[in-house]
Amino acid sequence: MTTLALQRAEAPASASFGDQPFRTATGGLIDRNRPRDFTFDGRRLTGCHGDTLASALLANGVRLVGRSFKYHRPRGILSAGSEEPNALVELRSGARREPNTRATMAELYEGLEATSQNRWPSLAVDVLSVNALLSPVFAAGFYYKTFMWPASLWEKLYEPMIRRAAGLGRAADAPDPDTYDHAHAHCDVLVIGGGPAGLSAALAAGRSGARVILVDEDFATGGRLLAERREIGGTSGAEWAARALAELESLPEVRILPRTTLFGVYDHGAYGAVERVSDHLAVPAAYAPRQRLWRIVARRAVLAAGAIERPHVFGGNDRPGVMLAGAVRTYLNRYGVLPGRRLAVFTSSDDGWRTAADILAAGGGLAAVIDTRTTVPPALRRMAEAAGARVVTGGYVAGTKGHLGLSAIQVVDGYNSTETIPCDGLAMANGWNPIVHLDSHLSRRPVWNEAIHAFVPGTLPSGMQAAGAAAGRFTLAECLETGARIGAEAATDCGFTASAAAAPQTDPETVDHTPLWRVPKPKGKAFVDFQNDVAASDVELAHREGFRAVELLKRYTTLGMATDQGKTSNLAGLSIMAELTGKDIPSVGTTVFRPPFTPVAIGAFAGHHRGKDFRATRHVPSHAWAEENGAVFVETGLWLRPAYFPRAGETDWLDTVVREVETVRARVGICDVSTLGKIDIQGRDALAFIERVCANPFATLAIGSARYAVLLREDGLIMDDGTIARMGETHYVMTASTANAARVMQHLEFCRQWLWPELDVQLASVSEQWAQYAVAGPRARDTLRRIIDPGFDLSNEAFPFLACTDVTVGGGIPARLFRISFSGELAYELAVPAAYGDAAWRAIMQAGLPYGITAYGSEALSVMRIEKGHAAGPEINGLTTARDIGLDGMLATNKDYIGRLMKERPALVDPNRPVLVGFRPVDPSARLRAGAHFLSLDAAPSLEADEGVMTSVAYSPILKSWIGIGLIRRGPERHGERVRAYDPVRGADTEVEICSPVFVDAKEEKPRV
Amino acid sequence: MSEAMTSLWQPRGAWEGVARIGRSGADAGPAGVRLTLREGFGLATLIVAEGKEADLQTALADRFGPSLPEAGTAILKGETGLVWSAPGQWLAVAPSPRDLRDLPETLRGIASVTEQSDSRALVRISGPQARAMLAKGVAIDLHPRAFGPGRVAVTSIAHIGVQFWQRDAGPTYDLTVARSFAGSLWRWLEHAAAEFGYEVAASTKDLIAIG
Repeated sequence: MTTLALQRAEAPASASFGDQPFRTATGGLIDRNRPRDFTFDGRRLTGCHGDTLASALLANGVRLVGRSFKYHRPRGILSAGSEEPNALVELRSGARREPNTRATMAELYEGLEATSQNRWPSLAVDVLSVNALLSPVFAAGFYYKTFMWPASLWEKLYEPMIRRAAGLGRAADAPDPDTYDHAHAHCDVLVIGGGPAGLSAALAAGRSGARVILVDEDFATGGRLLAERREIGGTSGAEWAARALAELESLPEVRILPRTTLFGVYDHGAYGAVERVSDHLAVPAAYAPRQRLWRIVARRAVLAAGAIERPHVFGGNDRPGVMLAGAVRTYLNRYGVLPGRRLAVFTSSDDGWRTAADILAAGGGLAAVIDTRTTVPPALRRMAEAAGARVVTGGYVAGTKGHLGLSAIQVVDGYNSTETIPCDGLAMANGWNPIVHLDSHLSRRPVWNEAIHAFVPGTLPSGMQAAGAAAGRFTLAECLETGARIGAEAATDCGFTASAAAAPQTDPETVDHTPLWRVPKPKGKAFVDFQNDVAASDVELAHREGFRAVELLKRYTTLGMATDQGKTSNLAGLSIMAELTGKDIPSVGTTVFRPPFTPVAIGAFAGHHRGKDFRATRHVPSHAWAEENGAVFVETGLWLRPAYFPRAGETDWLDTVVREVETVRARVGICDVSTLGKIDIQGRDALAFIERVCANPFATLAIGSARYAVLLREDGLIMDDGTIARMGETHYVMTASTANAARVMQHLEFCRQWLWPELDVQLASVSEQWAQYAVAGPRARDTLRRIIDPGFDLSNEAFPFLACTDVTVGGGIPARLFRISFSGELAYELAVPAAYGDAAWRAIMQAGLPYGITAYGSEALSVMRIEKGHAAGPEINGLTTARDIGLDGMLATNKDYIGRLMKERPALVDPNRPVLVGFRPVDPSARLRAGAHFLSLDAAPSLEADEGVMTSVAYSPILKSWIGIGLIRRGPERHGERVRAYDPVRGADTEVEICSPVFVDAKEEKPRV
Repeated sequence: MSEAMTSLWQPRGAWEGVARIGRSGADAGPAGVRLTLREGFGLATLIVAEGKEADLQTALADRFGPSLPEAGTAILKGETGLVWSAPGQWLAVAPSPRDLRDLPETLRGIASVTEQSDSRALVRISGPQARAMLAKGVAIDLHPRAFGPGRVAVTSIAHIGVQFWQRDAGPTYDLTVARSFAGSLWRWLEHAAAEFGYEVAASTKDLIAIG
C-alpha cells in the first residue's frame, strides 16, 4: 500500500474545457479536437469523440440522469460499464427511439439525442416522486398484498395504473427502420473480454496460429487498462493494450470484435454474441446493419470478462453523485472527467486509496477518505490529509444529503460520533465480484472464495477456462500471467504449439479488502438493487415474512430481476439474508444467471426474419401468371397458392368460386396442383416396398396405370392419401397431399432406411422438378389435344381413366400425363419440367380458350372435392381411420402393411364411431358451417349428446345450396335422418338431413368418358 | 400444334422475376460479392442400388473419375461433377440436361436416376466477401482449414434447405435451393450481401436445353 503514489496532478483541472466544466485540462483517451454535440432532455451539450454519453454528461456537470423504477427517486450514474442500473435513458427519437439504454454503454456520436425516462413532467420535478414519501407503503410485496381484491379490477384498473407509474422507457411506436444481421463464426479459441487477461490470452493463442476470436463489449479494447494509471513493462497500461491490439490485428487468424457483448453460453461450445455495428452512429451507413447477432462455435474459450465492483449499502446510497470507485477512476483517467469538485471516498479496500490518489492526480478536490478498516498505513493518511482531506478509519458513511444530487455525507467514525462532510461526489470501494454470469449459463453454480470474499467460477462449462479478474485473480500481474497461460493452454488443446511468454513486469499493487456488506446504522433508505428499487429493509421484510430461500427472496422483493440481472446487487442481498438467518453466504446460495448477460434487442434475434421474411414463402410454377391475372392467394403452410381468380364484375369471392366451379363442370378449367408431394420410387423391390407402406393393394397395378393410395400410421390411423402411378417396370411415382408432403417423405425414408434396409428401393423427391396441373372438365381432352405433341392418342380407349404415361409437349419437352380426377370430371394431371411450368400454363390457357377455359384455385378445388365427398385434410386429420372416411372396402386383406393390426383395436372398430356422410340443410337457403357439432333434434346440447362434427362445407353451384360432409355416429345407416348442426360459437343451430357424401355424379361416370 | 403454340414454350428461369441483374447494395469500391445466376444446367439424383456401389464406381469412372466422392465432398471438372448428397446418393451435375440423358440406361440395375434439372435454382457465389456472406446463413465452418474446394454441405439458410459446394479457393461456391424457395432465398441473399455491395450477373452460358 505504501507504494501507491499520491502524487499531485501535473495539470490541475481547468475551470472549463470549452464549455465542459468538469473536463480536466489534459489526460484521458478522448479526442479533444473532435467535439461532439448532443442533447439531453433537449438541452444542447458538447462532449468529445471517445466519450460515452455518461462521461459526456458528467463532463457537463449533469449528475441527475433518471428517475427510479418504483419510487421515482432521482438517480445518477453509478458505474462506467454494462452493469449500470441507474443511468437508463431513451436514446434517439421517432422510429429509432430505444428505451432503457445504459448511458455508460452509449458511445457518444455527433447529434446524439438522449431523453430521461420514467419522470413526469420533467426530470427535476417528478410528480410521482410522491411514491418515495409513501415508500413505507410500497415495500416488497405491496402489489401482491394491496391489489388482491376485487380481482375483477386487476386487468381494468390496477395493472394499467401500476404499469403507468412504474415501468421504464417507451418503445418506439413505428417500425424499426434499421436492419439486423445474423452471422456464424468458428474458432479454436474464443476469448471473452479485451482487458489485460483477455489480450494476453489472445496473444498467446494467436501467436501459435490458432484461430482466435476476441470479443469485447467496449468500443475501445483494453478493459481496466484504459481506466487505471498502471504500468506494464515500463509503458502505460493503455499503451500496452494498444500494442497488443495492433499485434493481434496483424495476425491473419485472429478476429477482433469490439462493441460485441457475449451474452450467452450454450451447449457444445456454442456462444451467442451481439455486435453493435452501428450503434455508435446516428444512422447506420447505407446497407450496414444496426446490430449483428453472432453464433460462435469455439473449441476452447477463455473467460476473461473481468469483475464488477460492489456498492456499499448505506442510507441514500442512490443519490446522484454516489459512484463506484472504479467508475470514478474510469471517468478520471479514461475520459478526463472529474465526477465532482470535491470527492469523498468510502472504502473497505485498498482500491479506495488508489481512487483518492487518482482524484488528486487528476486535479480533483479530495474531501475525505472513510475506511471501514481500522488500520491505514500512516503514509497514506498523511498524504491524504496533506491534500486537505478528512480521514476517518474504522468508520462508515451512514447517509447522504442533497436535493437532486449529493451535497454532503453523514459519516460515523470509530467512536460512533457523526459528522457531516460536504462533498459533491462519493466513490464506493467495497471489493469486486468476478463476472460469474457466463460460466453459470449452463446451470452451473459459482463457488464462494473466502480469501477474496467473492463467488468465483465453479466447474466451468466444457472447454472453458477463466483468467484474470473473472477467476478472482484481481492484480494486474495475475491477469497478465493467467491470461497468457490459459490462452496458451487453450491453443495447445487445439493442437497448436503455444507457450505463454513471460508476463511483463507491472508496477506493484495491493488488493487487500475486508468487505462491509451493509453499514450498521444507515440513515435513510439503503438500496441494494438500484434498478428495481429494492432496499435493505425489503430484504429484512422478506426475512420477517418467511421468504428466506434465495429464490423466494428474489421473487418477493424483485431483487436482481431487473434488466441488469442484479449485477451490482445480488451479493449484497445474499449477504444481508445470510446475516439475518445466521448462515454464511455460500449456505444462502445464489440465484441462477441466465442468458442474455445484458439485454439484447429482439430485432437482433429476428435478424432477416421480419415481415414477409418471417418465414419462407414457396411459389407455384404458375405464380407469375396468377399474379398478372389478379389471383387472390392463400397461405397453405409455406405455399402461397391461388385461392381464386376474380374477373371483372365479380364482387364477392363466392361469385368467382361459383363461376370457376360451373366452368369446370360444364367446360374446362386448370388448377396448379404442383404443391402436392411427388416421390419417385425405384428399385427392384419398389413394389414390395409400396405394398408394405400402403393399405390398399398394388400387386395388380399395371405399367401405365395409376391408383388411389392410402397410407396408415403404425397406430392404424390414416397418415395420408394420394396416388401411385406405375411409370415403368420398377419405377413408381407417388403423390402426397400438400400438407403432408414432407412428413410422407420422411416416413418412407424411415421405412426404407430403418425398417427394411434389405429392400432394394430408392426414393427421390421430385416435388420441385415437376410443375403439375389439373386440367378438368368435359373439354379437358380437347384442350390437351392441342398441348400434347402430335402422335399421342388421347382417346378414352387408348388412354382411359387412371392411365398414366410419359409424353412430350411443346415439341419434345418431356412430360408426364396422368388421368386422375379430384373434381369428379373428366380430368388429367399434366406434369412438365418446372422451368416449363409457366409456359405450359400459358399454353393450356390458350389451348382452352375456344372451350371457355378458366383458371381455378384452391377454393373451387375444395368445393368440387366436397361435392364428390372426397376426404381431405379436415377429414384425414390424424384422428380418423380408413373405415371412418368410408375407405374400408378398399383395404387389402391378403397382405401385411403398416397399421394393419393396430387399426383393428376395439375403439377403432366400434360401430358407434362417427363415419363420413353428407349433409344438406333442410331449409335450402340455410348456410352450413364447418365445425358444427351434430345433435339429435330433441337433445339438449351436452358432450354426451354430441354425435359428431361437420368437417367441410361448401356452397354447391350444382345443388344451389350449401352442402357439407362430416363424421357422425353410424352415419351410413342413417341416410335420410335429420339432425341438428349445432354451432354455438357462431350462434347457429341448423336442421340438416344425412345423405350420401357424393353429391355429384354418384355413379362416377363423368371421369370415365 | 401450330407455330404460334410452339413459340409459347419458352423456359422460365428459376431466378426470373426474383433477381435483378446489376450492381446493388453498398456501392463504395468493388462489389464484395458476385452472384451469377445459373440456368440451363443438368442435375440428376443418383441413388445406388443395394450392394452396387463398386459397379456404380466403374460405370461412372470415365465421366467423373475413378472413385465416387465421399461424404461431404464433390468431384468437379468445369461444369461437370458428382456431388455427394446423402449416404449412397449423389447429384450428377452437367452443363445441360441433355448430358445426363443417357444415365438411366447406362446405370440400369446399378443406380436409380432421377432427373432433377428443374428442381433447383442455382447461384454461383464469388468475390472477396463470398465466404463472409455465406457464413451469415450457414452454421458450418467455411474456413479454408475446414471447408475447401471440393467440399459439399447439405444444410439450411434462413430455415430454407440448401446444398452447396465449393468450386475453387477464391472461394467460389455453387449454391442450390429448391425452386419454389428461390424467391425467399434470394431475399436472404440480398440482405446478407447488401453491406458488402454485390453484383448480379446472368450466367455466361444462358442456353436452356429443350427436348
